[in-house]
Parts: sequence; C-alpha cells; structure tokens
Amino acid sequence: MTIDELRARAAQRQQACDQIKKMIVNRLDLEIEPNWITDDQPLFGRGLELDSLDILELYVAIEAEFGVALYDSEMAVFGSVSRLAETIRPELRAAAAV
Amino acid sequence: MDSVLANAHPEETVFGEVLDVTVPLRFSTPAEEYKAIRERAALLDLSGLGLIEISGDGAVDFAQRVLARDVEYLTSERCMMSLVLDESGQIVDQVVVWGRENGMFLESSCGAGPRLLEHLQKHNDEGVDIVDRSGELTILGLEGPYAWGVVGRLIDGELASLPFEAVVDTTWNGVDIVFGRTGFTSEYGYQMIVPTESAAELWRQSLEQAVPAGNEALEIAMLEVRQPVIRHEATGGVDIIEGGANWLVDITKESFIGREAVLEAFNGPTGRRTLGFGGGESVPEPGTRVLAAGQDIGEVVYAVHSLGLGTTLGLARVDAEFAAAGLRFTVGDAEVTTLTSPYITPKSWSIPII
Repeated sequence: MTIDELRARAAQRQQACDQIKKMIVNRLDLEIEPNWITDDQPLFGRGLELDSLDILELYVAIEAEFGVALYDSEMAVFGSVSRLAETIRPELRAAAAV
Repeated sequence: MDSVLANAHPEETVFGEVLDVTVPLRFSTPAEEYKAIRERAALLDLSGLGLIEISGDGAVDFAQRVLARDVEYLTSERCMMSLVLDESGQIVDQVVVWGRENGMFLESSCGAGPRLLEHLQKHNDEGVDIVDRSGELTILGLEGPYAWGVVGRLIDGELASLPFEAVVDTTWNGVDIVFGRTGFTSEYGYQMIVPTESAAELWRQSLEQAVPAGNEALEIAMLEVRQPVIRHEATGGVDIIEGGANWLVDITKESFIGREAVLEAFNGPTGRRTLGFGGGESVPEPGTRVLAAGQDIGEVVYAVHSLGLGTTLGLARVDAEFAAAGLRFTVGDAEVTTLTSPYITPKSWSIPII
C-alpha cells in the first residue's frame, strides 16, 4: 500500500470516529468539544463515564443516525469510539483486513 | 524502598525497582499470573503505590488546583482517577483520589509517591496538611473476573457489587479498612487500604482465595485495555493530547495547574498521536522508528509481549494523519497492524456478579 493510500484509509477511519464523537456529545449534551474525546478512550465506566441510561440513549441515536441496532449483549462495542466505529461501519474492519 | 510485604512473600519472588520502590515483579511466571488476572482472581501487592493524605480547611480547594479532574463534590464514599500536571502541562503522575471525611487520599502510581509528594508540597499555597501515609497504610488489590467472589468470602458479599469507584469504610478481621471498587485491568477490581501492621495477615488470608500477581503481569494487562502506565508513557516531553490521556482531565473545570498548557496543546497545530499496534515476534525498544510505506512517521513509546493477544503489543506515537486503527506499519523488522482499543475484551464484561 502506498503512503497516500494509507493516509486515505486513516482519514476514512478518523472521519467515522469524528462522526460518532459528535453524535455522543450532541445526544448526551456533553459540555466538551467532540474532538476532546479520543478514539481510544473508554466510554462506559472509566473514561467518558457513561452510565446505563447514556448507553440506552446511544442505542437509539446509533439506530437513528447509522441504521444499526445494538443490544445489551454488545456492551463491548462501547470499549472505545474506535471500537464503536468498527461495529457501526463494518467496512472499516473489512478494509483493515485487506 | 522495599515492599512492606516483602517478608510475607515466598523466597522465589522476583523483586525489581520501579522508580523509587522495590516491588514484586513476579511470584511464579507472568503467564500464570496473567491468567489469574484475566480468568480467575489475582491478588496484587500494591504497597509500591504511595498514599498521601491531604486534609484541613483548604483541602478541597487545594485538590481542585492540583488535580486535573473535578473533585469538588467527591464524598468519602467515592474515588476517581485523575492526572496531576505541572504548569507546562506535563504529567507529574496519575492518581486515584479517595474522598475522605476531612480531605482526600491521593494514591500515586507505582514508585511515584516521593515525586508526587514533592510536587504537592511545592504547590501548597493553601497551607493544607500533607502527610505521607505510605508507611502506616498499605494497599492490596484484587482483580479478575471472579475477584468479586474473593471479596465475598474474605470480607462481605455486598461489597463485591458496589458500583464502580464506590468506597466503603468497613472492617476485616476486626481491623478498620478502606475498601474501594476500582482497578487497572478492566476486570472486576477492588482495593483495600489496610494498616500496615495488618497487611501481611490480610495478604495471607487473601492468598487462600486468589493467585498472587506481580507488577509485570499487571502492566501487561493494563496496556491491553489502554490503561496508562505513566512511567512508560509520560516520557520525552509528551503532552496529554499527544499521549491521549484527555479522559483523565476535566477540561470544563475552570482552573487547575497545567490547564492553560493543555488548552494550548489542544488548540494548537496537530502534532503526533498515540495508538496501539500489534504484531511481530520481538518486543521493540522505546524509540524504535515506525514506518508507513517506508516513510518515517513516528516511534515506539513502549511495547510488551501481550499474553492475551499472543503477540507483541505496543504503543506508538505517530503523525496525527496516520493515527488510526487498521493500518499496516513497519516497526523495526516486523510488520504490525494498528489496533482498536481495548486490545482484548475483558472477561468481566460478560460475567455478572452473582
């Protein structure tokens, strides 16, 4: 892969993460700029310290904005923004495997 | 300074220096100890963590100024993690802040107690009481998907299901202890602050229920879930934006030491970012160059052999435009892939406390 292809792939991933950060901040009315949240930051418990109600709100938001339904059993996807991005946009994971 | 529990540990224990303290690195093998952390329950000798009490009329104001997170309403029933920064925004330490009736305990990272104490004393404009309690109090930890069961058998089953970062003053064996649900590995984690004269007995009784794990296995497990290991990560003048430790800073808090520098870094030109990578047989040294399609884009922060992944796991600091998971880079002579955090999924996330 060339340096430009790597750069483009990184930009695609970062764009997906940025979109998720904006959704989190807007939906949960957080008083921080979206890009204060890092891609690897934990979301549930430590880190952003979201609680169960926040997660429920995000389930609704994710389905509305990305058309992806998540369930209680998939709490691991809230391990970080980057992990959530791979779940919501599986093509990112597929691209990484190439 | 040796572990106050050194005499309680078996002869074959391997000790090593971590900053200013000597701690157990391993009791058996990292593999066995790691397995206890990730699959059962591990007992941790955390006596290398400094414990500094701040108290007095101005304790909360002082804490608000020296801590990067907001502790104004931290009660004696809560604890939380925070960074301590200097004026230039550099990390002095990462601490666990324990709310106390008349102030707080600041628990340093391993071996960093003396450095933290010096920093706090230097900034004590409020004239609060700052006392190093590390000699008289000792911290033991329990971590693992079944650590809650150990708590139930050892102290009280109700403590096991405390909410994350809850703290209770309780007794064990007639001894007053401070008990908190907190940890470093994303498994069920608990800490017990016990008078040092009783620490060896609590360690002995805990050993009947849990497997001792040393600092080597603990640090591997921490990296696997992107829990900062400050002595490895806060190096080379890195700021918290480059290091990705934003979550340990409440930037909405109006004032704290280092805030201006953090904001300047956040609003300044985009530099480097830190991300995880995996792959390869050998463990690269810090500073090993990271190449993308042959172009030098950064360096290794530190790396370990991840027992959970079965391969090398490390952190790299690279040009921000390449800071994304799912990319193939070259580190030393190995091809690696950048990863999504957490790099393993803790078993505790799928095991309920019964």
